[in-house]
Amino acid sequence: MDFLIFWLSNVPGFATPFALGVLGMIICERSGVLNLGAEGFVLVGAMSGAGVLISVGDLPLFALVIAGLSGSLFGLLFGFLVTILRVNQVIAGLIMVFLAQGLTSLLSRNMDWVNKPFEGLSKLNTGIFSEIPIIGPIIFQQDLLVYCTLLFYLVAFYFIYRTSIGLRLRAVGENPEAVDAAGGDVILLRLLAVIIGTFFLGLAGGYFTVVVSKIWVDGISGGRGWIIIALVIFARWQLSRALLGAVIFGCIEALIPRLAAIGFQLPQYFVLMMPYAITLLVMVWSNLNPKNITAAPSSLGRPFLREERN
Amino acid sequence: MSSTSNINKRKGVKLEVRDPMSFTNKFIVLILSIFTGLFISFVILILSGVSGSALWKEFVVYIITSEKNLSSVLIQASPFVVAGLAAAVAFRARFWNIGIEGQMIFGTIAATYIAINDVGPEPTRLLLMFIAAGFGGVFWILLPAFLKIKLDVNEIISTLLMNYIAFNFLLHLLYGSWRDPSTGFPNSEQYDVSEILPLLGWQSLNFSSVIAVFLVIIIFWLFMSSRFGFVLNVLHASSNMARYMGIRVSLVILIVTIVSGFLSGICGFLVSSGIESRMTQSFFIGFGFSGILISFLARDNPIGILVVSLLFATLVIGGQSLQVFYQIPFAMVQLMQAIIVMCVAASEFFIRYRLIFSL
Repeated sequence: MDFLIFWLSNVPGFATPFALGVLGMIICERSGVLNLGAEGFVLVGAMSGAGVLISVGDLPLFALVIAGLSGSLFGLLFGFLVTILRVNQVIAGLIMVFLAQGLTSLLSRNMDWVNKPFEGLSKLNTGIFSEIPIIGPIIFQQDLLVYCTLLFYLVAFYFIYRTSIGLRLRAVGENPEAVDAAGGDVILLRLLAVIIGTFFLGLAGGYFTVVVSKIWVDGISGGRGWIIIALVIFARWQLSRALLGAVIFGCIEALIPRLAAIGFQLPQYFVLMMPYAITLLVMVWSNLNPKNITAAPSSLGRPFLREERN
Repeated sequence: MSSTSNINKRKGVKLEVRDPMSFTNKFIVLILSIFTGLFISFVILILSGVSGSALWKEFVVYIITSEKNLSSVLIQASPFVVAGLAAAVAFRARFWNIGIEGQMIFGTIAATYIAINDVGPEPTRLLLMFIAAGFGGVFWILLPAFLKIKLDVNEIISTLLMNYIAFNFLLHLLYGSWRDPSTGFPNSEQYDVSEILPLLGWQSLNFSSVIAVFLVIIIFWLFMSSRFGFVLNVLHASSNMARYMGIRVSLVILIVTIVSGFLSGICGFLVSSGIESRMTQSFFIGFGFSGILISFLARDNPIGILVVSLLFATLVIGGQSLQVFYQIPFAMVQLMQAIIVMCVAASEFFIRYRLIFSL
């Protein structure tokens, strides 16, 4: 029982960055922009969050906001490449990853941010609630961003499915020509979606350093950006399934360090392999259902080439 | 193009589709954008405290005037060439092989197995290692290829996830049973002389350059004159068209991924046997990424891959000196490669469109 409570109380912390990242990816990809740069935006956010805490001061919430904004800033470059310059979205996404790896490594070395531990964001003090047996540790001993993430999902759900802006966002991913004909600005809508989406990816990165590791080293995201992309496919670009996927993945990630405790012995490096192997399994499992393959927004990855239409 | 386009009017700029550009003009744009990328990178380096004259010396003068540096560039270029080919072969069939590094790891594990267990007589050792490396790479691409063909699992993500699995397996070996018994360091024991690619007689240039050029010729023939090259061209243009023509697309993808995995494995072999003489825990880093960018810059053309690899190798060798003498982190090289490719990718916009400014 103690094992179960301890395990479940760790789940939100593991699930939150995935939930944030997948939210950002869905906003971006619903507009038809294929974003393979997730790993890059996560890295940029992670480094900026750490950088603020080391160079500015112990302001974890401010650090998280800056992490998101720097994700957006980097996203602006990506958006410029794919919407205005119409660069192949696969190539542009990969370029963003490589660029981010080089840039974060160079900048953090130049600013002397590497391997400097900091306080970071601690768990929220909920007073008496955290004392409640069982649900106390699971629900009330979390950090602020866990609750914010739920709020973000509610707001995003409302915006995407209940407002005209959300309708346009979805329409521009399915049929940009129709949106254009109706007087909508396809380029602007996509650019906005990229900027907002990469904000959440940057925030997810910030979570990895500011809340989880409380330190920055090169490549700290360790491929989690790619796992986020896989989760988007699992979620079929739907918010409710995204939250579900993030929680399931959080459960798995939280379980891995606890495996030894229940007498499950695996060599260390096989344990470290597991998130990637499980992600691969998740992808196989999602594609076994043919519905998933057709769930992607119809114009995903296709640039909008108004000038080339006749 | 419609003249009532409100997006373009608002910006005061109009886009017009150009007539297809001639090959020469395209080439000029390509060169210009590479130089733009180099210029931006050099500005970043100068901001990081390296003087302009030092850059000129490290990246141009010392490389052209020193035979030793020139041979270092050539040695560094060989695995780049093969990584570029591995990426190009897969991309011709629209299979994005982002898992070159994982395949390099398994190729090198297979070759190192031959080396540390002294499999086969000494004269055939290198050949055995070569073949083992190739099949090690093939082994690591088969699962993503199979998942792509059977279940349409996105190969970009699956090959990338396989990299992380391979890397952890490599660490498992190097921190476990394959640790160097003589030093205790987490890398394999040093290869014997019979397991290291032989020198060619000029500076430290070795047989890896011969292998790289040979593979360029093979792939060039495969793309340009073989029947299979034609099939690839059709598939690259449109997979539907290929299907209507009766081409078995999944078979072509399978063949292409096998070739790509084989080349990646060889790339790992060239690094471990041609440069480092052992299997280290970081020998593969950056090659997968560089291979993709090289192949993109060269438009999947094997001869172009040869040229771009020389450019990238020059950046690496120059970057190594900057690391030693100016404490510039080696990540700068990766950053420079990414910036150059970004400029080239962006330049395609100006190849396709003409901007018309209206006041």
